[in-house]
Amino acid sequence: MDGVHDIGGMHGFGRVVETGGELAYHERWEPRVFAIQMLVGLQRLGAGPGGRPTREEMEPAAYLAASYYERWLYSAEQRLLRKGTIAPGDVEAMMERLESGEAMPGHQDAAMAERMLENLGTRIPMDPAPAEARFGPGQRVRVKRMHARGHTRCPRYARGAVGVVEAVRGTDRLPDRAVYGEKVDAEAVYSVAFSSEELWGSSDEPAWVVSLDLWDSYLEAA
Amino acid sequence: MSDSHGHHHPRPASAVELRARALEALLAERGLVSTDAIDAVVELYENDVGPQNGAKVVAHAWLDDAYRERLETDATPAIAELGFGGAEGDNMIVVANSPTVHNMVVCTLCSCYPWPVLGLPPTWYKSPPYRARAVSEPRAVLREFGLELGDDVEIRVWDSSAEIRYLVLPMRPAGTDGWSEDELAAIVTRDSMIGTALPSVRGPAIR
Repeated sequence: MDGVHDIGGMHGFGRVVETGGELAYHERWEPRVFAIQMLVGLQRLGAGPGGRPTREEMEPAAYLAASYYERWLYSAEQRLLRKGTIAPGDVEAMMERLESGEAMPGHQDAAMAERMLENLGTRIPMDPAPAEARFGPGQRVRVKRMHARGHTRCPRYARGAVGVVEAVRGTDRLPDRAVYGEKVDAEAVYSVAFSSEELWGSSDEPAWVVSLDLWDSYLEAA
Repeated sequence: MSDSHGHHHPRPASAVELRARALEALLAERGLVSTDAIDAVVELYENDVGPQNGAKVVAHAWLDDAYRERLETDATPAIAELGFGGAEGDNMIVVANSPTVHNMVVCTLCSCYPWPVLGLPPTWYKSPPYRARAVSEPRAVLREFGLELGDDVEIRVWDSSAEIRYLVLPMRPAGTDGWSEDELAAIVTRDSMIGTALPSVRGPAIR
């Protein structure tokens, strides 16, 4: 979707390098929320299109105001609510109990921990490149104009731009439909290189190249 | 950052921290998510999976030309040779720097990152300024990291918003002849494998 998460090229966010920015997180709850999101997936406790598309659905001002793991907290909670694993008001009720001094409940399940670690250590590679992809290395392609309401991996800044296919990376289902549980056939995924001039016009920096991995559905011959 | 002191200093819980604890408490109380499973994930990325893994891959490639070729041709199995792989490392591509090409990696749409070789991403990688600017003014971004590249070096930015994850193979710095693999790995910083820094023989690794 054309949400505020699609941020490539936007101005006004300020400096990249700030004190503390080198750390992965700053507070103990942050990696625990990361872990909870992983476990919600493993234990199939959530519903909806997955963590990433769910975070993209956040209201734009809230998305930008939230810290990274706040967004993960949002998506974990939303997915649990959509499945009915938790009900509206459950989290707030537990917040009150904890605030009133109740001890944090714990639950031990070593087998679950083991399954989670095994899952995180497992690779799920894309299928190999198709024998007859529509485009091949060296071919010019144009990124289609589009305005997808749902999840997409085609950033706004590349739409309409012409690039050159560098490689056919593999075969994969189009996430725009697959994340919503639709049965879709796998299609070729290409690495496409774009010149900075094509994407951004003139710049005071020497020309550079931006490469993107794009599904066949995003592209047309140029 | 105002909250950078972490858990070592007692202070009132923020609303979001309380909410996070409440969600964990709720799932634990109902037996749906176990505390030890959460601990295991946190400890995995704090102790076992981090940029020290990627550094071993890079150092090995610097010393072994045949390995380097496998790494540049089909990175995922080459990385698995050293025992690394898993979630967010399913489809790895290694992009090698040269005297004329400098690679840097970003994910503009999300914050995709090769966990098995670099661990969890630093805050700056996930934040709007880097995601916005890496594709549209890479040299200005690199300058903030203290990296000035000559105009004759082409910058290649890899926006990893799809399913491929990228690792930059930096050039081996001069002055490291005869170094062991461990000594070499020690100078391969996380940022040098994202592409916002170069390995340096001057001083200890800071990132």
